[in-house]
Amino acid sequence: MSRTTPSGANRREFLISATVLVAAAACTPGTDATIVTDSPRTQPLRDADFNPVQLSALADTVLPASLGTAGQRAAVTAFVAWCDGYEPVAEEMHGYGYADVRYLPADPVPAWRAQLDALDRLSQRVHHAPFASRSLAERQALVAQATRSVRGERLPSPLAANHVAIALLSHWASTPRAWDLALGVQVAPMTCRTLDGATKKPLPIATMPDPGART
Amino acid sequence: MRQVPRTIDADILIVGSGITAAMMAAHLVEHTTRSITVVEAGRASTPLRERTLARERYVAYGESPWKSDHLDDQNAFGTTWGFSPSMTVGGLAMHWGGVSPRYSPEDFRLQSLYGVGDDWPFTYDDLDPFYQEAEERMGVAGEQGPVALDPRGKPYPMPPLPINYNLAQLQQWAAKSDIATWSTPSAKNSVARDGRAQCQRCDTCYPVCPTGAKYTPDVTWDALVQTKRVTLLTETLVRRLVADAKTGRIVQATGNRTDASGEAIAIAAKTVVLAAGFVWSPHLLLLSRDSAHPEGLANRSGLVGKYLAGHRNVNAYLRVPMPLVPGINVQHSLVSKQFMRPPRSSRYLRHDLRVWESSVGREPRLRDDNGELLMGDALLRDWKQRASGATARVRAYYDVLPDRESKLVLDDAHTNRFGDPMPSVGFRDAPVSAALHAWQEEQLRALFTRMAKAGGGDILRMENSANDLGQEHPAGGCRMGNDPMTSVVDGWGRAHDHENLWVAGAPAQVSASCCNGTLTFAAVGLRTASAIAREGASAT
Repeated sequence: MSRTTPSGANRREFLISATVLVAAAACTPGTDATIVTDSPRTQPLRDADFNPVQLSALADTVLPASLGTAGQRAAVTAFVAWCDGYEPVAEEMHGYGYADVRYLPADPVPAWRAQLDALDRLSQRVHHAPFASRSLAERQALVAQATRSVRGERLPSPLAANHVAIALLSHWASTPRAWDLALGVQVAPMTCRTLDGATKKPLPIATMPDPGART
Repeated sequence: MRQVPRTIDADILIVGSGITAAMMAAHLVEHTTRSITVVEAGRASTPLRERTLARERYVAYGESPWKSDHLDDQNAFGTTWGFSPSMTVGGLAMHWGGVSPRYSPEDFRLQSLYGVGDDWPFTYDDLDPFYQEAEERMGVAGEQGPVALDPRGKPYPMPPLPINYNLAQLQQWAAKSDIATWSTPSAKNSVARDGRAQCQRCDTCYPVCPTGAKYTPDVTWDALVQTKRVTLLTETLVRRLVADAKTGRIVQATGNRTDASGEAIAIAAKTVVLAAGFVWSPHLLLLSRDSAHPEGLANRSGLVGKYLAGHRNVNAYLRVPMPLVPGINVQHSLVSKQFMRPPRSSRYLRHDLRVWESSVGREPRLRDDNGELLMGDALLRDWKQRASGATARVRAYYDVLPDRESKLVLDDAHTNRFGDPMPSVGFRDAPVSAALHAWQEEQLRALFTRMAKAGGGDILRMENSANDLGQEHPAGGCRMGNDPMTSVVDGWGRAHDHENLWVAGAPAQVSASCCNGTLTFAAVGLRTASAIAREGASAT
């Protein structure tokens, strides 16, 4: 039996997570999953300035190979756009359970950029070669080593991720497309859809064209 | 700052622009010829055309979709669970979830039926036409429940939101525990109506509907302002009501602009309506103390700010053996009123019941059972396996009877830019509720356990609200009643002590039932509006 607290207030958590939101919301085990739709159609506020070769290699390391090259590339593009659009210390949605106004965290990108660079340095130390040049197994081992202190039961929301590898993976995993892949059906959670389709059993994913298929 | 306040004259002054105020103004425009001035301390927030982008940023980052919807120095302190600092045109209902159940008939006769709490000064049947009016004005989509449990004089104005693929299975599952459920009534367009779109299952009803399918009070204000029958004064904080020492009539409201000018404002009105919610309505009455009313206005009974009411909940996630697919329409649910009418002979427990789909336990994991970081196809394989299960969420709000000392007081430790003390709230159960608290929650946990077993499932997790933080869907603070010594306003919302002062909606409520309160706040406000209109008609 758990008891809710101001920072983990169950009604607020539900309302947030029922909207399946992400961001700074604490990723408390047992609350509904987080989903981000693809990056907002807004002007980028900055350039995250990740090393594109390193980020691409990281994507190939942590994202499912079954997404295909195009799917992984699309996930990287969406992640970078999401980073570029983030406004540090913007006001959070205030809701039930507390009256004070709260703000989103500082920009996580500088730390993520440094971690990406650190992965490459780690590879140089261990393998005397760039991260991007190593095999999948070696790259995965490097990522595992770099994230060994990351704890938690559930993949955190992107904003709560304290390593770039987790953030990239989490951003992809929180998209409607990823959820559909996991569920094996066409639901497209958190996208605006007509009411008409709500009563029917969702169609299998196999009938959908797969934009991530290898070309 | 000007020394002499700018003075505005109005027939009817409404303080606050939330959903109760919007409903009342719409009623008054149609039923009187009197001029109406509405005063709102905040400003208009995100217009409909900007809500698609606001929603995207909310979903992507958790940003508030409602820009500048509060005043930094105007907030409540204490146990503020259920309170929001929103101070904007439309009030908290700009970001409500749209869930619109009625209270049950029993709520209005708790003392007569169960020997606990207090009866309201009117019955469910008395309120039924105003419930209907509120449902018509905001547009509620609903399904008629079993008539004995869910009586209503007329049909819902719109067909219900559909029982979707997930909810249809959950409905059958609940039936195995002999629980009748139906589509939760919601102020969301199940069909295009009143120039607003049909719901598109965007699943961000709370906090922002990008299409306008969910009712928000700005819709009403936009229409009313266009009629030129209503003047909406934004960024204007009413800080005091001034009562004539001899007659007790409220002769003016005074305050200041909340913009940079801080300009002093005075509004002289024949009728004054407080529709500023359970915090700001009693707060203004307490702030308005003077030599003739040293404890604040309307406070002969000493009950202004007292009997704050709300409810708590027990919530559970259940693993259920059925092919649910999370994400079809997460914010829509099943509802039951079956437990709002317990036998008189039993110990007192009244509660609602809601059932949702849930993705709890279906999310991707960070590490596998061996503690290894999951990534790549291994993560997707693990996720697919987890996603193949199904989770239901159930929650019951249960009735909490308010104590007299469940109260709001002025807190000199926190002041706004004008030096006014801010409110501090502290909820307290009536002794009967305090004594039943543990037993009531145990009963609800047992119910959820029975439901899980009857459906062939089990409990993933259960939790209850923290009872020392406040209560949900809060109301009260200016309770209604027939006796001026045990209530602040009469059964129509008129202050016992001031013939031209009315308190409307949430603060006037005697108790807060065990379900979402907004529709009842609006219906009670409409009943007050009808009395004001009737009085105006008889005076002319």
